[in-house]
Amino acid sequence: MQNGFFDFEKEGLKYCYYCGKCSSGCEVNRLESSFQPHRILYLLNIGMTDSVIGGDDIWKCTTCFTCSERCPQGVKVTEIIWFARTMAVKSGHLPELIMHQKETLLRTGRLHHISHIDNNKRGKVKLPQLTDASSLISEIFKMTKGDE
Amino acid sequence: MRYAFYIGCTVPVKALKYEVSTRNLAKGLGIELVDIPEFGCCGYPVKSMDMFAALLMSARNLALAEEKGMDIIGICIGCMATLSEAKKYLEDDNLRNTINQKLRELGIREYTGKVNIKHLARFLYEDYGLSSIKEKIIKPLESLKFGVHYGCHYMKPGHAYDYFDNPSKPVTLDILTDITGAKTIDYQNKNQCCGLTIMGTAKDLSFRLASEKLVCLSGIDIDAMLLACPSCCIAYENNQRLVGEKTGKKFNLPVLYFTQVIGLAIGLDEKDLGFEFNRVRADRIIEKLGPY
Repeated sequence: MQNGFFDFEKEGLKYCYYCGKCSSGCEVNRLESSFQPHRILYLLNIGMTDSVIGGDDIWKCTTCFTCSERCPQGVKVTEIIWFARTMAVKSGHLPELIMHQKETLLRTGRLHHISHIDNNKRGKVKLPQLTDASSLISEIFKMTKGDE
Repeated sequence: MRYAFYIGCTVPVKALKYEVSTRNLAKGLGIELVDIPEFGCCGYPVKSMDMFAALLMSARNLALAEEKGMDIIGICIGCMATLSEAKKYLEDDNLRNTINQKLRELGIREYTGKVNIKHLARFLYEDYGLSSIKEKIIKPLESLKFGVHYGCHYMKPGHAYDYFDNPSKPVTLDILTDITGAKTIDYQNKNQCCGLTIMGTAKDLSFRLASEKLVCLSGIDIDAMLLACPSCCIAYENNQRLVGEKTGKKFNLPVLYFTQVIGLAIGLDEKDLGFEFNRVRADRIIEKLGPY
């Protein structure tokens, strides 16, 4: 459970009573009614974790935190969806974008690689030159086993 | 006062107008932003992969700032939310001790919890002070109207930001804009998310979210959208034409950063505010203001 510091319980999963206030305030739910944060929480609570982490819904959350702010029980809905994503990634359910981002992060230490074209552009407007940030993230992933 | 400038990954590659205008605005206001080359990614993109690794990445940046004895000022709201949340998580002694062990393995002494983290807009509002900005205004923007977009992580999660602004009805960026003399106009879907975070995993939803706000803002009498986050700007400006194509609309809405707007008001030249990088031309705004 990620060094024991993050899990569903710490983010308050069991306090959810499925009132649906998260879903009714959710922008994504408004556009696509089948996306329901409270349903994700329900499935996790009854132990259907595999169907949550194997599905697409957790990747539709914009992480805007509106649900967490609205929850009358103080359940950190966004963080729970985030944690479900990490379980998905660890079990190999990796959307292409995440795979691509991970590769860039491991290779450059940044979300966006700094090319010489970028540095040229920066130089023209007198901004400081930048370099990719080396092996830092791969070191961190090795330490936390995030690369497994 | 000197501050550690947390620039993040997105700004220096995708938001040069934000970086240029921030540096020159800070200079103009007498705020010293110190570049810290050792700063790394805030951890946000890693949160979906390993939350502990993400926290360690945040903590490393906080520890570096602490080592230099400086508080952090940043301009990416995603970075600010991630670092601010990390600061809250690390109030737990047990977790902080574990993180500090790992930091030592990375050659960094420790993080004790001293560093404060603020978005530049919040810093201007809370610390620099509205009256101090007002004193510097030599070119009031009375002829301009803006629709402010906050960006979700500007004030959420509320607990990470000690509720400095109202998570469901924020006002601080409007107030900051108002003091330039410009008018801010409220609009229907003001709190709506830009959708950029799901651009790679749920493209259609992402475009529809961006499109709805562009439709709403295009229908009201404003000169530009005003915002404070590089990711939101990608969604609304860099991708504006694409969003239109995907949703059967046509947009021509200039998008400015709050730093460009305040910069104009304190008399900075548009060349020093990165206007050349505005993808949707903002010439008519400059013309409207007229010669100084």
